[in-house]
Amino acid sequence: MKKIFLILSIVSSVVCIAQNKSVVIMNATIHIGNDSVIQNGIVGIKNGKIVEVIDASKYKVELGNYDEKIDATGKHVYPGLIAPNSTLGLTEIESVRATNDFREVSATLPNVRSVIAYNTDSKIIPTVRTNGVLLAQITPRGGLVSGTSSVLMLDGWNWEDAAYKIDDGIHVNWPRMQTRNWNDNESTFGASEKNKEYEKQVNELKKLFSEAKAYNELETKEEKNIRFESMADLFNGKQNLYIHANNVKEIVEAVNFSKSYDIKHLVIVGGQDSWMVTDLLKENKVSVIVNRVHDLPGKPEDDVDLPFKLPYLLHKAGVLFCLNNEGDMEAMGTRNLPFMAGTAAAYGLTKEQALAAVTLNTAKILGVDKTTGSIEAGKDANLFISSGDALDMRSNNVTHAFVKGKQIDLNNEQKELYEKYKNKYGIK
Amino acid sequence: MTIMKKLIQVFICLMVTYGANAQETFPNNGTSNPNHSIYAFVNAKIIVDPEQTYDNGTLVIKDGLIAAVGTKINIPKGAIIVDLKGKSIYPSLIDAYTTYGMPEVKKSNTWGVQMNSNIKGAYGWNQAVKADIEAYKLFVADSKAAEELRKLGFGTALTFQKDGIVRGSGAVISLADGKENSLMLLDKAAAMYSFDKGSSTQDYPSSLMGSIALLRQTYLDAEWYKNDKTKKEYNISLESFNSIQALPQIFETTDKLNALRADKIGDEFKVKYIIKGSGNEYQRLDEIKASNCKFIIPLNYPMAYDVEDAYDAKNVSLTELKHWEMAPVNPFALEKYFIPFAITTSDLKEKKDFWKNLRKAIEYGLSEKQALKSLTTIPAEMLNISDKVGTLKPGMLANFIITSGNLFNEKTVIYENWVQGNGYKINDFNTIDIRGNYDFTYGNSRVLYQLKVDGELEKLKTTLLADTAKTPVNISLTGNNVTISFFSKDANGTVRLSGNVSAEPLKMTGKGQLPDGSWIDWNATYNAPIKAEVKEVATGTAKDTAKKTEEPKFGDVIYPFTAYGQKLNDKTGFDRYWTDFKTRYDAILIKHVTVWTNEKEGVLKNQDVYMTEGRIVRIADDIGAPKLAFAKVIDGTGKHLTAGIIDEHSHIAVGGGVNEGTQASSAEVRIGDVINSEDINIYRQLSGGVTSAQLLHGSANPIGGQSAMIKLRWGKSPEEMKFEKADGFIKFALGENVKQSNWGDMNTVRFPQSRMGVEQVYYDYFTKAKEYDAKQKAFAAQSAKAKAAAAPFRRDLELETIAEIVNSKRFITCHSYVQSEINMLMHVADSMGFKVNTFTHILEGYKVADKMKAHGVGASTFSDWWAYKMEVKEAIPYNAALLTQMGITTAINSDDAEMGRRLNQEAAKAVKYGGLTEEEALKLVTLNPAKLLHIDNKVGSIKVGKEADVVLWSDHPLSVYAKAEKTIIDGQIYYDIEEDAKLRESIQKERARIIQKLLKEKKDGAPTQKPAIKKRSLYECDSMEEDYLDEY
Repeated sequence: MKKIFLILSIVSSVVCIAQNKSVVIMNATIHIGNDSVIQNGIVGIKNGKIVEVIDASKYKVELGNYDEKIDATGKHVYPGLIAPNSTLGLTEIESVRATNDFREVSATLPNVRSVIAYNTDSKIIPTVRTNGVLLAQITPRGGLVSGTSSVLMLDGWNWEDAAYKIDDGIHVNWPRMQTRNWNDNESTFGASEKNKEYEKQVNELKKLFSEAKAYNELETKEEKNIRFESMADLFNGKQNLYIHANNVKEIVEAVNFSKSYDIKHLVIVGGQDSWMVTDLLKENKVSVIVNRVHDLPGKPEDDVDLPFKLPYLLHKAGVLFCLNNEGDMEAMGTRNLPFMAGTAAAYGLTKEQALAAVTLNTAKILGVDKTTGSIEAGKDANLFISSGDALDMRSNNVTHAFVKGKQIDLNNEQKELYEKYKNKYGIK
Repeated sequence: MTIMKKLIQVFICLMVTYGANAQETFPNNGTSNPNHSIYAFVNAKIIVDPEQTYDNGTLVIKDGLIAAVGTKINIPKGAIIVDLKGKSIYPSLIDAYTTYGMPEVKKSNTWGVQMNSNIKGAYGWNQAVKADIEAYKLFVADSKAAEELRKLGFGTALTFQKDGIVRGSGAVISLADGKENSLMLLDKAAAMYSFDKGSSTQDYPSSLMGSIALLRQTYLDAEWYKNDKTKKEYNISLESFNSIQALPQIFETTDKLNALRADKIGDEFKVKYIIKGSGNEYQRLDEIKASNCKFIIPLNYPMAYDVEDAYDAKNVSLTELKHWEMAPVNPFALEKYFIPFAITTSDLKEKKDFWKNLRKAIEYGLSEKQALKSLTTIPAEMLNISDKVGTLKPGMLANFIITSGNLFNEKTVIYENWVQGNGYKINDFNTIDIRGNYDFTYGNSRVLYQLKVDGELEKLKTTLLADTAKTPVNISLTGNNVTISFFSKDANGTVRLSGNVSAEPLKMTGKGQLPDGSWIDWNATYNAPIKAEVKEVATGTAKDTAKKTEEPKFGDVIYPFTAYGQKLNDKTGFDRYWTDFKTRYDAILIKHVTVWTNEKEGVLKNQDVYMTEGRIVRIADDIGAPKLAFAKVIDGTGKHLTAGIIDEHSHIAVGGGVNEGTQASSAEVRIGDVINSEDINIYRQLSGGVTSAQLLHGSANPIGGQSAMIKLRWGKSPEEMKFEKADGFIKFALGENVKQSNWGDMNTVRFPQSRMGVEQVYYDYFTKAKEYDAKQKAFAAQSAKAKAAAAPFRRDLELETIAEIVNSKRFITCHSYVQSEINMLMHVADSMGFKVNTFTHILEGYKVADKMKAHGVGASTFSDWWAYKMEVKEAIPYNAALLTQMGITTAINSDDAEMGRRLNQEAAKAVKYGGLTEEEALKLVTLNPAKLLHIDNKVGSIKVGKEADVVLWSDHPLSVYAKAEKTIIDGQIYYDIEEDAKLRESIQKERARIIQKLLKEKKDGAPTQKPAIKKRSLYECDSMEEDYLDEY
């Protein structure tokens, strides 16, 4: 009977979410997200917004009326981390096709929208926000043009409720110049060769962009084309163009391609070789969503730590960048995003710069920095408290998290299973 | 001159008649034409063999054989005398590795599963064992192919069907033209092997280790078959296999490591293979030398890479760059190491490159004498045909070549190649070598022109020079008739000249017509030979000669032969055996360091740790500086020292596939056979503090293969990397992978397809193995006499391995996920009387932790992986902590080359998820895996007497900010963050140097290939050999 009660209480806690109470966090080390820290600070949250951020060592504080006070002595407050280029909520079990909703069949489908497939009840999401990731750019995969991404909160009753910025940009996978030759008998390890389809694929992209651009300049349309319509905001600068490219030549091509259509906001996603063309990127105001930091170098002769220090190389060159987790096990692995920032900090960045690479930089790149990405008065209260350094797995321990000022539940199914079996074995 | 004319006429007859002579059993169409002509070649420099030369000798041949050779030879009456003044005679060359005259092997593209051989008849079970193939029966003469080899100077070749792992027997064939009956010099000359299953469409083997296992079992089966007098089973494959064992055994390899692998098999079955090498033997010369094998070496140098595009050039690896530069040095390196080797034309993209490449090898140091040996006496000895070919001695085949001089000189021309007494003209030696500079006049022109005749004899290149003007000239020579034409500006048309060449002194005279039709006289008088003109790089010959003056320069061999490999300390060229670099330091002392002992002492602050002779010798407050010669003292202030990380589940450093998943059980395959010492991931993991790893077979089948335990001794050979005296382990696997759940709809054939079937696989195999074991023990227990009388016992390496498990001599690491299957295997083990050693992955272990505890099994899990497939839906990151709290020896492993270098961070997550203490967490990747692998008495903690496998960290070892600064194995530094920085620089420099060389090569007109990325696949549990994607 006791056991049943315990389980019931856990279940109920999942549902029971504290509603927009005003909260003040006190005595905390506040990591603003913009490369600055307040050692002893106060963050006030009202109506979903951050209303005050005060350095208590400099200013005498008159605490206003707050429903709840959180003493965060010895703890750290961070802006909610943002996972760009993510399939969270679009997949549940990687190998089970029925649970995957991130890939369509046609090569060019700009009009496909991830936001409507986002499953707020994904069992993965609660395990991710537990580590401090509170927003994500949900992104379709595959084809030449995968579709349109949206920024969502990792909390919500449904996708409309969770939406933070709908249809923020269109994703293009730049054709690979080299493809793997499966029939190469000489190389057991899969030699790659020139992609014979490369020109064709590039032309297909050019055709789509040229036609869509022309279409959207027409006063009256003879017949409606939903693919072209979906790209209107791309050409008028309201949407980002995300081109996924890793090889240096592909990056150069992608930049030139984007320029030729006067695209205002180009973001390179991946950018394994981006450190080689930082001048070009800077000159054209191109930002980079950097490949997974916890990755192996592409070539044996690469610096052993090249993926670890790639963020630093971009930072040093003055390119705006942020971190992401595309790759194997990407959705569930998103909970390790803070530790990728940690690694970037071990390999060149300062901890605060590394934090920016998963908060404010990301917000800037995704175009949501006016309302989130840092702990500044006036912004949405997307933030969390960790008892230790959140970028280090050794000390990441999220005790409170707020999304638009709403304190979210930090329980998840994994914790429940843990409790269940601890209880079975009588472990405390 | 008359002799020569006669000779030419005789040629024509010879070619037709000789063949008919040799076949007495054949009917004759037309009048018979017996021919027993005697030829005497006189005044030649005769190279009888690499040791003996007659400067002015005579060679007499009759009926296809050498009748006499020497200086004072009586020329028999009626002999056709050929004057070879100024020319040389060499034995015709022997190519010990060709597929001359063999039918093309076709591989049919089959889809789906093929468990059994599709060859009908009383053959063995595996299609890749083609022991019954006999090249001599397949051989069909091919005059075009024979001519191609003859042109290069070859007279004899071994030929075989290049298909399968056991390829049957090869035959020695004469490269003369004619009926096959007269060309067969030796019908069964050698037994042929490889690791490549060739056209076999049967699934097994799908991996290199599978090929090795198949060979091993074939040897055992053949032995058993030979001794089994009952012959209840007739087996053509085994019968044939036995019949070719007395022949020379030739094993084809495609890499230096494969050569070592072949030799190991040979050692096991007391066979000394002749190894057909791959051309990169110089990269592991010590081990190649130690194999004591003879080699057959190709001259397949890689084509230069086009590196003009700096971005594309990044796709050429350092290994490829260096090999491009060093490939020509391979024969020299073998010679310096006294490794006997023959040279073959095999593997050349174009056979015509043979001489160019051989001369390059000589340029790179190969001695001419060795080259000649490698093309004559050595292959003859290898193939047991020294009594027939390879030297010019009476009674041997009249196989010889006539050259203009030293065979290995660039300008030397092979005039004729005589095979079995048949002369084949390659270049007419009647043709006067008119190359040189001439004073040239024609008609009324008062100008004294210079005529420069250069190029190859077959393809002369001629220029007319007047002051600075150069006019290209067409020239052709037929017998003594010379024809010249060129465009004259003055005459505004083409001048045509015809004339006669006379030798000694070299002179050309004749008549010709000017463009206006008027007849004129002309003459050209030889004045000087062609000189190498360094400036004139435009003409081929001048360039080549100029190049010769430069000593070829090349970089060092690095170990391993890849980026971050290191050269040996005191190596200069290939001049001597490399001294051992194993002990770079006599002792290492780390001072003032925080020591995570993993022992009851816990974490000790400000300690000194002294290591020598591979062991931890002292841990104390203040240890004085060591007095040994090569001692290193490291300041550990602010740093942390832990035991080296041990990855319990790794698939790095494995060559040729990690899964032999073609059958439900592949217990006979061994990862230890295929350790790849050249894998860059070894170095990368060292940079993450990993010192040891268990290399596991994949998880494609319920009973996988045998594991290998290694220390990450980067630079050492595969054998040297093995962990000494480690217990044997084997990989088992359960669940979705073994039942092929995620393999697509094609794969629904191989048993098992459900968890129910998996249990039965085990019961079946363990039952059989127990019976096998009992039989083997009973057989072994008999007296020697009884044994001899009894039917021989057939060793079955698969069941033998499984029996080891039952006898607790081999231990299971079992890939597992869900609780039902975990429970099941423990039941199977209990019923069979053994314990499961380790469940790996074991993500639902937390659900059956009590049962695991009761069984006594350990766990090796992931920190936070889940949701990648159905069976990990309920995986939780608290697993490691909960299992630990339940008293189960628990490790965290990688199963992933990337995560393998961050295992300390993965361990740290057990503090976050489940609240282990930091010391407990660190043990998850050090002491606990050591326990699971039964090596905790040697490694896994910092304790006096244990092996000095330790890591010096820049920071708290569980922190994301910590870097491994020094990774020490056996008391030697295998990774050093400072050395790493230097290595990066040296890689850049070395690349830049070779790239400059390549650019020059391209500029000089060498053909180039476009760079392409060659990416080594990373193996994880599910990786099949054909699966290059990194998926789970």
